[in-house]
Amino acid sequence: MTDTDSAAVRTDGLWKIFQQEAEEVTAVRDVSLTIERGEFMALAGPSGSGKTTLLNVIGGLTRSTRGEVVVAGHEVNAMSNQELARLRLDEVGFIFQAYNLLPVLSAMENAEFPMLLQGIGAEERQARVRDLFERTGMSGLEDRRPGKLSGGQQQRVAVVRAVASKPALVLADEPTANLDSASSEALLDMMFELNRDLGVTFVFATHDARVMERSRRVVRIVDGSIDSDETHT
Amino acid sequence: MAKTLMTLRSQPMQVGVILMLALRNLRRQLRRSILTASAMIIGGWLLLFTFSLGDGTHETWIDSGVRMSGGHVTVERPEFRRSRKIEDRLSADVRSTIERALEAPEIAAQVVAQSARLTINALASSPAGARPAQIIAVDPLAEAPFSMFDDQVLEGRYLEPDDRLAAYVGIGLVESLDLRLGSRFVVQAQDTAQDISGQLLRVVGIFQSGMPEADQTVIHIPIQTAGDWLGSDRDVTNVGVVLADSATVASVATHLERVLAEPIAHGDASVLEWRESNPALYAAVAIDNFGNYLVYGILFTIIAVGIVNTVLMSVLHRHREFGVLQALGLTPGQTGAIVLVEGLTLTAISGVIGVSLGLLTTWYFFGDGIDFSALIGEDMTFSGVVIDPIIVPMFRVSRLSQILVFILVIGAAASIYPARRAATIDTAEAMKFER
Repeated sequence: MTDTDSAAVRTDGLWKIFQQEAEEVTAVRDVSLTIERGEFMALAGPSGSGKTTLLNVIGGLTRSTRGEVVVAGHEVNAMSNQELARLRLDEVGFIFQAYNLLPVLSAMENAEFPMLLQGIGAEERQARVRDLFERTGMSGLEDRRPGKLSGGQQQRVAVVRAVASKPALVLADEPTANLDSASSEALLDMMFELNRDLGVTFVFATHDARVMERSRRVVRIVDGSIDSDETHT
Repeated sequence: MAKTLMTLRSQPMQVGVILMLALRNLRRQLRRSILTASAMIIGGWLLLFTFSLGDGTHETWIDSGVRMSGGHVTVERPEFRRSRKIEDRLSADVRSTIERALEAPEIAAQVVAQSARLTINALASSPAGARPAQIIAVDPLAEAPFSMFDDQVLEGRYLEPDDRLAAYVGIGLVESLDLRLGSRFVVQAQDTAQDISGQLLRVVGIFQSGMPEADQTVIHIPIQTAGDWLGSDRDVTNVGVVLADSATVASVATHLERVLAEPIAHGDASVLEWRESNPALYAAVAIDNFGNYLVYGILFTIIAVGIVNTVLMSVLHRHREFGVLQALGLTPGQTGAIVLVEGLTLTAISGVIGVSLGLLTTWYFFGDGIDFSALIGEDMTFSGVVIDPIIVPMFRVSRLSQILVFILVIGAAASIYPARRAATIDTAEAMKFER
């Protein structure tokens, strides 16, 4: 990889081993993977296969035991906690299975939050969020608190929050797991359009067949290792 | 090769974001916030009012104590306190320097009364016997606003400017010498020529101070009479000053020490604060204060444990939320700062409310005070002081500041551990919490 590294993510010989009492549990085993900018890809595998851990290592939420992770050109393992926080703020958007909106903020404020931390002015923040709310059918719900939104609506706000700050990649951990089929389809349509129209890189950890069908690339993880890496046209 | 880390800008502290999240979280947990705040409000209220009451009590003790002795500040020769002899009197120069110093505008504003006295040990005799006595020779006009003796007339009256051989005598001494109003008796003491000299006096008034030591020994006589008797003219052994507020004692004493620097250096004068001239009273005030500090230390430790518990529960309840905040880009320090600001805000608001209630209660009792005579009676004495059962609370800005700072420190200290817990969460693990 060079200074002009254009990949969103590159991992090389990545391992993540947890110490559980006297026992070592290997969650990620020797994973080498490159995710290009603009990809719409899925890390697929059964529960406990290590896909969420891999997502967390890529997103700088947890550190790998060994190996290299480069996100948007930044070597994650060499970073301090402060630098990791800045990396997450500037380069990574997260979408969680349980939505994880901040309950004390309105839908609009939740979506604006990463941009607020980035120091982007109110006018630009609101313009970006309003545009994305319009695209995602959330217009008119800006002032509602998360408790007053349905699961599908909360997840749309979470998607807007993840993409509005224009990160290098969006990591989505089982984003459709808590949604009914109609909401799941609508959400996938929405993310697909954002990927197509705005070039947002999406990486999903999922075992939802619908997500895998819509993904152009599916990397299957079994027992922490890459079992297959297929690209659909 | 990956990009250097320098390309990632360091993150500002985000004070506005932290404050917004902290305030909204307090509002979100309104019931819990109100319960925690209530403890702080009651604590702040009690703290301010009882310290105002305590300060008022101590001020009354001190005022009573210094008026029954030598004043808030006393100037005398260094040997006088031990010897009580007439040769240890102040020179005319020193006395006039003191009087000029007390006329300085910044000092005069603090001075309520001053009295120059000739105080000596003597022997009082009557046909019934002889008793040791303490002669306090005074200018009746200056002494009346200075001491409390003139208010304690049991029979007769206090001294008047035209009195010549008049004596104002304690009830205990009157009884010991079998005297009554109008009785004549003799006092003997060493004069300026170091001879034993006698003086005939007539009882014009009898007082009862409530303090056995004063009632059995003290005789007030006009200073003119003492000067003629002892050959001391208008010389005095000590000059006492009563101040409006005991908090100004140090500044007045320092001023006097400055103007009397030369006599002090030559051993011709010393300036004593009431703490030195009345150590028993000082000890009593200090012990009472210590007791108050101890009780409130314990009370606030309990309140602090309550705050730690409340804030910590709130942190544990929001474990996942802190994980999300860090995933979104907040640093561990900023996450901890939210909790710290929550604790401090809650403490500051409830502290201000509590202290305001304390001020209102103090203000309500400013006029008439609180009558504790049912609890302590009318005649209680303590460390040479007659205790007034009516206690008027006293407000001091310094006490208010102390209490506010104390409450804030308690709030900050109680929030540090929960803030640390929030700052050190494992972000990935926190996401697994189901709330």
